[in-house]
Amino acid sequence: MLRLIGRRLLLMIPTLILVSILVFALAEVLPGDVGRTILGPYATQEQVEILNQQMGVDRPLYERYLSWAGGFVTGDWGESLLLKTAVFPTVMRALGNSLILAGFALVIIVPTSILIGVFAGLRRDSALDRTITVSTLSMTVIPEFVSGVILLYIFAVWLKWLPVTAMPPAGSNFFDRFYYLILPAIPLMFLELGYIARMARVGTVQVLAMPYIRTAVLKGLPRRRVIFGHVLRNAMVPTVTVIGSQVGWLIGGLVVIETLFVYPGIGKVMVDAAQYHDVVMLEASVLVVAVIYMIANLIADIVVALLNPRIRMGG
Amino acid sequence: MADEQYRRDYAQHLIEQVNKGHMTRRQMLVRASVFGFSATAAGSLLAACGGGETSSSASPSASGGPAPVMGGTLIGVIPPSLTQMDPVTIYDQGGIVLVQQVCEYLIALDNENGLKPSLAESWEGNEDGSVWTFTLRQGVTFNDGSPFEAEDVVTSMDRVLDPKSGSGALSALGGLLSPGGTVATDTYTVTFNLDKPFADFPYLVCQSSYNTCILSRNLKGAFIDSPVGTGPFMVEEYVDKQKCVMVKNPKYWGKDAAGNQLPYLDGVTWTMIQDESAANLQLQSGTIDFQPQTVFQGSQALFSDPNLRVDVYPSTGIREVAFNLQQEPWKSAPKELRQAVAYCLDREALNMALFDGRSTVGVDTFWDPAVFPGSPTPAPRAQDYTKAKELLATAGYPDGLEIELTYSKYLENPQFAQLIQEQCKPAGITVKLNFVPYDAFYAGEDNVTPWLNAPMVIVEWGSRPTPGVFAQAMLLPTSTWSSSHWDNKDFASTFDEYMATTDEAKRTELGTTLSQIQQDDTPIMVAYYISQLRTQKKDIYGIQGPGSFYCIMSEAFKAA
Repeated sequence: MLRLIGRRLLLMIPTLILVSILVFALAEVLPGDVGRTILGPYATQEQVEILNQQMGVDRPLYERYLSWAGGFVTGDWGESLLLKTAVFPTVMRALGNSLILAGFALVIIVPTSILIGVFAGLRRDSALDRTITVSTLSMTVIPEFVSGVILLYIFAVWLKWLPVTAMPPAGSNFFDRFYYLILPAIPLMFLELGYIARMARVGTVQVLAMPYIRTAVLKGLPRRRVIFGHVLRNAMVPTVTVIGSQVGWLIGGLVVIETLFVYPGIGKVMVDAAQYHDVVMLEASVLVVAVIYMIANLIADIVVALLNPRIRMGG
Repeated sequence: MADEQYRRDYAQHLIEQVNKGHMTRRQMLVRASVFGFSATAAGSLLAACGGGETSSSASPSASGGPAPVMGGTLIGVIPPSLTQMDPVTIYDQGGIVLVQQVCEYLIALDNENGLKPSLAESWEGNEDGSVWTFTLRQGVTFNDGSPFEAEDVVTSMDRVLDPKSGSGALSALGGLLSPGGTVATDTYTVTFNLDKPFADFPYLVCQSSYNTCILSRNLKGAFIDSPVGTGPFMVEEYVDKQKCVMVKNPKYWGKDAAGNQLPYLDGVTWTMIQDESAANLQLQSGTIDFQPQTVFQGSQALFSDPNLRVDVYPSTGIREVAFNLQQEPWKSAPKELRQAVAYCLDREALNMALFDGRSTVGVDTFWDPAVFPGSPTPAPRAQDYTKAKELLATAGYPDGLEIELTYSKYLENPQFAQLIQEQCKPAGITVKLNFVPYDAFYAGEDNVTPWLNAPMVIVEWGSRPTPGVFAQAMLLPTSTWSSSHWDNKDFASTFDEYMATTDEAKRTELGTTLSQIQQDDTPIMVAYYISQLRTQKKDIYGIQGPGSFYCIMSEAFKAA
């Protein structure tokens, strides 16, 4: 297995090179230029051209890419074109925030979804199963912006039970931080619950129909042992794959939640960088999220392989 | 340079203008402030005019409010600035609000766009407004302890006039003031030798010309690394796009009318929030104390919140609807075609639909007394489809017309574009809407960027203090931001004369001519002037600033 993991890690290198080239090229076709963004609509074109020249963004695309890539691989992530601050600490600070939010959301979402999904699967076609399926599906289709605003209005503005922002004041302790993350985690749970719970339900239903489960029941194993010893382990294979694919999104794709709850995460950094032509910041943030995404998928594959040894990774 | 005799003559002239009814007392105060009369001198002028109306310069929050309370901190919300906090290049609300707490200008604006002394105690122009002399306030120090002197003004002006600085101020000052034109006559006197007469020059060195703030002559490197200014607050902590913590400047020179040391507050913390809904929720939850600029669209819930007060200030911000005279159909068509479109607009209905009636109706000219005191009264331009159809026929389009309107997603622009489309339809004018993302709208070089090259565009403009500043920016052949590319020689020559005239009667006469030419030729439509909203908790008072997002916090306080 170690050899396979090593191979997957090596494959990340060409993938990241391809991603970096694509990002550079795509940023080029976006309308506008960074000089105009920095100086604003009231600066003259001559001033914009002088600034673009000073920053070197008027050089050919390949020259700029090679210059950036050379610095990036040697640890020099450069300076934001807009903010004139070092990219590395900015991206790492935002990534840290995103990891905390995603981690907190996953801690709530994963056990809840699996519990609900397995519960529904064990009571297939019952009224409870249908209620769970319909309600989780309904929650999934509500955009996070809508559920977020409603939750904020009820719990932060009206009842004042929870804070209106996801970022605690400076000096807050570890537990305060989670108190501030409760509200933003709920819309994420709404989105993910239906998806992951349905996968857990389907997995459970499929495993329950397997001959080895029938055998286990017929040979008189207690129901609890059948469920925890056989059903859950095997039903989790598709669920873990889905969770693995969602981790990348939970870290890099929460722009709406970050915007609404004023949370300085990596998603907003990426969107701002793309929108305002800060290609140096964009490259670093996209590549970091890409690495996280690939590692999450690799871990999911490892977990799947551990759950079901018949599955051969990479094969 | 104006001498004392000239100032006396000009004062007498202003008094005569008021007494003859050619000028209101409010107009007289504005013109007196432009020519550098002190508040005391202006008060004497007012007294010389006899009884009558009084000035209403008190701010909405200051009038009838409780006694100031010293100390405490407030939390304000602003949009994050896109770029580094640099006074020389700032152009967005987030950057400007922050810089104006730390840095100051030679002249400040009052809540009604009048001028009041700041770092300059007084100023005066010569007879044609081509040379201006400013006497600086003595005893002012920067927050690093260094003294404020004339040399700081010279280096600050030369810095923004250098094309390499990238300052937007160059667009307003270019052609008027050249590097080297600012001279330190002595330690506390500065003379501006303009390239041509400009009667409204003091407005170009006040806070509405936000890049002209006075920085230390010792400034080197990035401002944010060493944010030195003479303003009431100092930067204690700055986190890009998140927050800026400010504390009071103990060396601040300002005192209130009762002689109390300013600022009242110990500090202000600025939270940066991009999304308007998120900012509104924070205001409603009580997390945030105030918001310098509240956007009307989507903020209706704030009006009915029992804990908040939304002040409405008159503003001169507009949406310019420009007909590009270098593009068809406007290029080959006479002015009647543009007039036909202008007569399709129901401006009252637009004001109701877009701002719930809170804005001021515009009639396609900048010389509009509803927003610029002293302007001549323009002819009304109400919706008239019969007239619009006649004008279409005269212009050679008896069977109607199809035009394209390009606009960006900025506040009410999409709704405004749709309303223009609907209101033009009954006259036989089909408006095809061309939505362009905000960035793309302003992207590209001058000869390709949509906002300067599309056949018909909606362009958003922030407040400008005088009609002349608006016209200078967009209506002359030399204007940098002319979306209409209007080239009217009568207008241009009259405008030059207007800007070189200090005689009020003559200015009114020339303003009337300019107003008539602009409205009649209709290079652009000005359907409304947007009122400014500022939201604060009900126990917060004293936030000052004219009708834009300018936000002066030196006299702000939280009532006991």
